[in-house]
Amino acid sequence: MGQSSETADGSPLRQLDELDVIVDTDAHIRETVEDLIPYIDDRYEGAKWIVERTEHPERDIYSLTHSLPPSLHAERGGWSADTNTVDKKLQELDEFNIDYGIVDPGLNLVLPTVNNERIAVAMMNAYNSWLLDNFLDEGNHRLKANLLVSHHKPDKSAEEIDRLANEKDVVGVALPSTGVIPPVGHERYDPIYQAASDHDLPVFFHGASTNTSHVFPLQRMYNQTYTEDHVIIHPFSQMWNLSSLIFQGAPERFPDLDFVFQESGVGWIPYLMWRMDDHYLEMNYELPLLQQMPSDYIHDQIYFTTQPLGHTEDNPKHLAMAIEMAGPDNIMYSSDLPHSDFDPPSELFNRIRSHFDRETVENIMGKTAMDLVDL
Amino acid sequence: MPSKHKVATTEELSDGSRVIAEIEGQEIAVFQIDGDYHAISNYCVHQAGPLCEGKLTGDMYIDDNGWDWNYDDDEKHITCPWHGWLFDVTNGENIHNSKYRVPTYGVEVEDGDIFVIR
Ligand code: FES
Repeated sequence: MGQSSETADGSPLRQLDELDVIVDTDAHIRETVEDLIPYIDDRYEGAKWIVERTEHPERDIYSLTHSLPPSLHAERGGWSADTNTVDKKLQELDEFNIDYGIVDPGLNLVLPTVNNERIAVAMMNAYNSWLLDNFLDEGNHRLKANLLVSHHKPDKSAEEIDRLANEKDVVGVALPSTGVIPPVGHERYDPIYQAASDHDLPVFFHGASTNTSHVFPLQRMYNQTYTEDHVIIHPFSQMWNLSSLIFQGAPERFPDLDFVFQESGVGWIPYLMWRMDDHYLEMNYELPLLQQMPSDYIHDQIYFTTQPLGHTEDNPKHLAMAIEMAGPDNIMYSSDLPHSDFDPPSELFNRIRSHFDRETVENIMGKTAMDLVDL
Repeated sequence: MPSKHKVATTEELSDGSRVIAEIEGQEIAVFQIDGDYHAISNYCVHQAGPLCEGKLTGDMYIDDNGWDWNYDDDEKHITCPWHGWLFDVTNGENIHNSKYRVPTYGVEVEDGDIFVIR
């Protein structure tokens, strides 16, 4: 990476349309339970029998709740299913001149709250089949996808990765990461990481404040507003997960595997990196698993998606500085569309275009993602 | 031109013990470990703590099976008493990150006297 605007042709990027490629590394869709029911495999007919008879599956199969309704204010956002078709999703990319979208689930970010393990596995399987059938086969190859996996049954998740990893336009594995206990560094998830590593697919971790009624990092009690809940759940979840991943040695066990942390912005990264390095240097006797500094593992194997950037108007340089501290080679633009806290590409681009050289800006806006998932 | 500074006699320095001497305004510790002498600055490069006033310790390492924690009791690492950073007294390197290094010095023994070369 390089700072300032010294570039091959001597000029920084000025306009978004000068970029060769923009990749959205967190492009949500909005699947419904009704969408998925026809795709529940015959193997899971018992689970299907229950799900199709459940009057309120979002609360009695999943436990999808909020502190207060999240989107009374917004056109975009909410959980209504208007982005469950490929045309809608492509329109969204077009609206913001995004070339590729790495598709992540909507409802199934809440998969960790499914109490019943058999049903969790059935819904994972159904989501993936539905996704491939409806989005990837139809997506003009502008839509790429992460396979959903369930933390409940890592062995079944590994089978699911083996089943679909070689399908065209499958580029990663999505492990919804709020409400996952034990957190993601625990070796019980090794079958997932092994399968992902075998197929050369990065693992994406995406939090969700919907999942906090369940477990740490916060039970929701006393978070009286959606805001209080949402502001901290994403970074807290990811801090817990990243710390667990590093200190329990997952990057050591899977040196060829890349991990991606989504939807917590960038400000928390240097903070946590500093803390982790500090502890590593101090607590020798309990961290023999690690062979290098936590920040070195992060630079080698961990990526972060940018949304939500937060309100960085007051001094626009601060965001670029935060990215510089976090390590710009591992930062990738994401929109989070269609959710109401989405970031258009311009929001990030305008903050970084004059701070970094042209190549670094191009990498953050799309090329790092292209490399990571082999587009 | 380096010069020799007597810091102790071999009799005074038993295995695993140390002496901290002031040499030309700088505190330098000499450790005796398994019959060898190692001189290292009493100055932690982290936050300037009195490095050599801490404990000597071995090192925890992970077994080849990837699971068990083992303790290597070759106690040649000095633990800074301030924040616990560990340095190998034989070469001055931080055990976790060789970027952090404390100055070390040559030692000579003559007729039962121990000298630091500085
Ligand atoms: S001053 Fe030595 S560890 Fe901090």
